[in-house]
Amino acid sequence: MKYAGRYFEDVQVGDEVTPLVKGPIQQIQLTRYAGASGDFNPIHQDPEFARNAGMGDVFAHGMLSMGFLGQALTDWAGAGRVCRFGVRFAALVRLKDTVTCTGRVVSKSSKDDAHLVELEVWAQNQRGEKVVTGKATVALPSRA
Amino acid sequence: MPIQINKDVKGREYPPYVITVERGKIKEFARAIGDPNPFHQDDAVGAASEWGDLIAPPTFAITFRHDDGGAMLRDLGTDISRVLHGEQEFELFRPIKPGETYLCRPRVADVYEKTGKSGPMAFVVRETVVTDRSNEIVATIRGVTVIRL
Repeated sequence: MKYAGRYFEDVQVGDEVTPLVKGPIQQIQLTRYAGASGDFNPIHQDPEFARNAGMGDVFAHGMLSMGFLGQALTDWAGAGRVCRFGVRFAALVRLKDTVTCTGRVVSKSSKDDAHLVELEVWAQNQRGEKVVTGKATVALPSRA
Repeated sequence: MPIQINKDVKGREYPPYVITVERGKIKEFARAIGDPNPFHQDDAVGAASEWGDLIAPPTFAITFRHDDGGAMLRDLGTDISRVLHGEQEFELFRPIKPGETYLCRPRVADVYEKTGKSGPMAFVVRETVVTDRSNEIVATIRGVTVIRL
């Protein structure tokens, strides 16, 4: 089952987070994300506002790309496993861009009942430029 | 001419606010991302899960807004047209579920200026601690807002 997640024992350092391809980004998704998130900054909706703000055109909410990366993480680790997730927004995502989300296992540790996996995670556009970079910690169930 | 921002905002606490997690809002948020995961979308799958209900996607706490940071931007002496999102971090102590009521306490942890390749910028670090009715911590939310000066 796709959403079953995985056990701590089945993860090795160096494992790749299954890449998730999102987009091409359309205006309607930015409008929808504004409604769902409560972030109504017109810079994501109104090309004239974005131009006057010196940004050229509208661009995607950074949080939408972080949401994509969160989806890649939960697809890979299982829902409800992410306990720390931090990113830097490195470049803007524009309309028609494609965003590919992935990551890599950096370390594993167990203490008492907590089985933690540390990952580096990132999202890149269709030109291979990193748009989001960050780290995540997931707590996985153990077979033991 | 670059604008001046008010660095006295550093350390300032903003009024705590209460939010109640709505079931439909979790589903709407997952749909807006385009995430079909049934643990975020399907009540029956949620009910049968180890959490006994739907759980929110990992970035859902970004919806715990009060006034869109309007008061903070005014206090800083700027407006939304100059703002970019620099960084974001969530610490999640347990999954967020529908019907739960939380207290959110925001504060400005830091304000500093730096000149980057696109000119002078201010960085505002905002941290919000989210607790439940029994005062147990549910999440911390840390965001860095970049202001183009």
